[in-house]
Amino acid sequence: MFDTAGQSRMQRSHGEAAVAFEGARLTGLRQKGSGKALLPRVRGVPEVVFLNTSGGLTSGDTLSYSVTLEGGARAVTTTQAAERAYRANAGPARVTVRHRVGPGGSLDWLPQETILFEAANLARETVIELAPDASCLLLEAVVLGRAAMGETVETLQFSDHRTILRDGNPVFLEPFVLNSNILARGPRAALLGPARAFATLVLCAPGAEDAVAAARAALTETGVEGAASGFDGKCVVRLLARDGWPLRRQILKLMDALRRGAAPPRVWQL
Amino acid sequence: MSTPEALGLLSLVQWLSPAFPTGAFAYSHGLEQAVAEGDVRDAPALADWLADILAHGAGWNDAVLLACALRGEDLAPLAGLARALAGSAERLHETEAQGAAFTRAQAEMTGSPLAPLPLPLAVARAARGLALPAGQVIALFQHSFASNLVSAGVRFIPLGQSAGQAVLAGLHPMIAALAARAAAATRADLASAAFRAELQAAAHETLDVRIFKT
Repeated sequence: MFDTAGQSRMQRSHGEAAVAFEGARLTGLRQKGSGKALLPRVRGVPEVVFLNTSGGLTSGDTLSYSVTLEGGARAVTTTQAAERAYRANAGPARVTVRHRVGPGGSLDWLPQETILFEAANLARETVIELAPDASCLLLEAVVLGRAAMGETVETLQFSDHRTILRDGNPVFLEPFVLNSNILARGPRAALLGPARAFATLVLCAPGAEDAVAAARAALTETGVEGAASGFDGKCVVRLLARDGWPLRRQILKLMDALRRGAAPPRVWQL
Repeated sequence: MSTPEALGLLSLVQWLSPAFPTGAFAYSHGLEQAVAEGDVRDAPALADWLADILAHGAGWNDAVLLACALRGEDLAPLAGLARALAGSAERLHETEAQGAAFTRAQAEMTGSPLAPLPLPLAVARAARGLALPAGQVIALFQHSFASNLVSAGVRFIPLGQSAGQAVLAGLHPMIAALAARAAAATRADLASAAFRAELQAAAHETLDVRIFKT
């Protein structure tokens, strides 16, 4: 009945980290299990660095991160390391990210890339709730295996729903899904082409459309295919690359363009 | 033989035909960019590109939205979802402009004014009154979408008319299967893997010489 080999015997990990700010003041910090939130001393806008101490995600694991900003608070949030999703033969690992940005607030959610290994099974849901005049910058970067290590991914179950709500209504929705059947189609032009690393950046703010020129001007990294569009209170950028490194360099350039030159979180610096 | 089903089918075929004034011929859904970049040069490549859009791209999500609306879900929140799903300025324009044109034509035919909706929802609103199963409405909607893109491909790749029609005929089994699946789908089934198609649809905004609006 039960598969007692390999992964299924491993201890399941559960992690939760939640941080809240009221203006410039930290008003909440909750950490459970493998979920941690570090608050490095930085000048200016507070930085939150989330960390999953379990070292990676596999079947049955759960992880949730949350940031709540009230009183016009601003925060830059990221993750300490690339999140890794490993072979998972007994159902998905589940990751829930839910941030709330109150009136006048601004959140940069800039997690490092998610690396999906062969036979990974990951279901992630990211929701950022914005007050009517709040803003956010959302990044999701995903890498299939590590090309430099000769890894390929053929078996996969990955769903990654990214939602931004403004005043309770969805204004951005990317229900990204990738699985073995889709990968088996090969390097199809409408899917991922030959790329194995991809990212979406969304600036969602009043007047965000105007950032499209700066975003386009920043699309200069060799080996990265990218395009930006400004519309409907958003600037959306999508990127495709063969590997995680050029993608990372391109993301840094875009962060610079979309964050008006503010230094990236330290963990992102090359 | 004017059964409600037979009459409903005739109405739907009329609304989804190239003659119905939605201006569909002006939109390529990013195909113009894919052709310009050399990704779609021939009939097999067009068939692959269309199959991926239909099964894993905006084609699938439109089918899901259509199914939700035909089931009687509130149209306003679905319209919000449709707008949120539009991955770039031209994608949003494509669904809103065609939806508005479809709505206008409907309103003029029936004499009752209607608020504009994104295309799949405008079609669903009109089709709610027809005695047709959801799977059939979705299949014909997808077929009309694919047919329009085939004719864009025929003009721009270019392909022979018959080669284009063979691509469309080749997609029939897939469209029928997808429509049957979509008929039972809910908003939890919204999904997209057509990442590069979304990227190219945005890249189309800066394409130097453009025949199509999208």
